[in-house]
Amino acid sequence: MNDDAEHPDLHGRKFPVREDMAYQLKVWRFERCGWYMLVLLVVLGLAGLFSRGLLSTRDVRSDDGRVRVQYEMFHRNGSTNSMKISVSGPPESTVELELAGEILEGFSIETLQPEPARARSSAQGIRLWVQTDTQGQAELFVTLRGDGLGLFHSRIVLPGSNDVKLAQFIFP
Amino acid sequence: MDSVLRAAAMYLALMVLFKIAGRRSLAELTTFDFVLLMMIGEATQQALLGDDFSITNGILVIVTLIAIDVGLSLLKQRSSWASRLIDGEPTIIVENGKLLRQRLRHARLVEADIMEAARSSQGIEKLEEIKFAIIERNGKISVIPQER
Repeated sequence: MNDDAEHPDLHGRKFPVREDMAYQLKVWRFERCGWYMLVLLVVLGLAGLFSRGLLSTRDVRSDDGRVRVQYEMFHRNGSTNSMKISVSGPPESTVELELAGEILEGFSIETLQPEPARARSSAQGIRLWVQTDTQGQAELFVTLRGDGLGLFHSRIVLPGSNDVKLAQFIFP
Repeated sequence: MDSVLRAAAMYLALMVLFKIAGRRSLAELTTFDFVLLMMIGEATQQALLGDDFSITNGILVIVTLIAIDVGLSLLKQRSSWASRLIDGEPTIIVENGKLLRQRLRHARLVEADIMEAARSSQGIEKLEEIKFAIIERNGKISVIPQER
C-alpha cells in the first residue's frame, strides 16, 4: 500500500480542488477493510452467531443423561426461539423440573407445551411437574422471547440429577 | 428511552455502513439501486420502531433523527475535521484528458462511468475533451471540458 502511495496518480493536486491524498487513501483503505468486515459479518450470520445456526444451536445433557436441553445460545431482543427439554423418570408418573437462574429475567415464556400437570414459583424460578409416558420420557417445548440484553446464565434442575447449565446471550 | 437509543444507534450504524459502501454507492440511482434503497428502508423501519407503533414513539424517533442530523451539520460548520470525516473530500479522476487509473481503481470506477457523466452533463464524446473530472463529495462525477 505504501508503494502505491508513491504512484504519480496518487499525488495530491491543488487545482481545481485542493486534495489531501493521504487522507483519501485512508478513506479508501477504510472502505476496503469495511468490505472485509461486512463479508465476515455475513459469514458469521450464516454460521449462526446472531441466532439460529451452527454456532448458536446447543444440545446439552446432564452427566447422568436424564435431562437433555436443546436450545439457542444466541437470541435477538424481541424475537422468539424454541427450547426443547427432555427428561426421563419413572414411567407414567410426574417428574419435577425447575427452570432456575436468570432465564425468567432475560426471557418471557410465550408458550409451554404440553401444559405441565402443575406449576408453581420457587425461590429461584419456576417449578413444573410434567407427565412421563410409558417409557418414562417427557418432553417440554418452550418458546422463549428475548426481552433483555446481554448474557443470562440459567439452570434446568431435575431433583436427584445434575443441573444442566445454560448460557444465553441476547443481542439488541 | 429506548426509542431515542434505537434511533441514534440506527443513525450511526447506517452512517458507518454508507461510509463503507462509499460515496458513489447511491449517488446515481439505477432502478435496482432504488429497489435496494426501499429494502434498506423497510429493514430499518422495523428496527427503529420495534413493536411500538404509537404516535409518540414515531414522533420521538423522527425528532431524534432530525436532532442528530442538525447537530452534525452544526458540528461540520464549526470543525473542518468533522466535516471532512462525515462528508469526505472531492477527488480528481481525470486530469487534462488522462485517466488517473490508480485513483479509479481505489474508487471502484471504470472509464464508462466517467464518459456517462461527461455525455450527460457536457455532451462530451471523447476522453481527450475532458479537462477535469472530479468525484464530488456527494458521489456525483462533475466534468469540466477542455477550453477550445
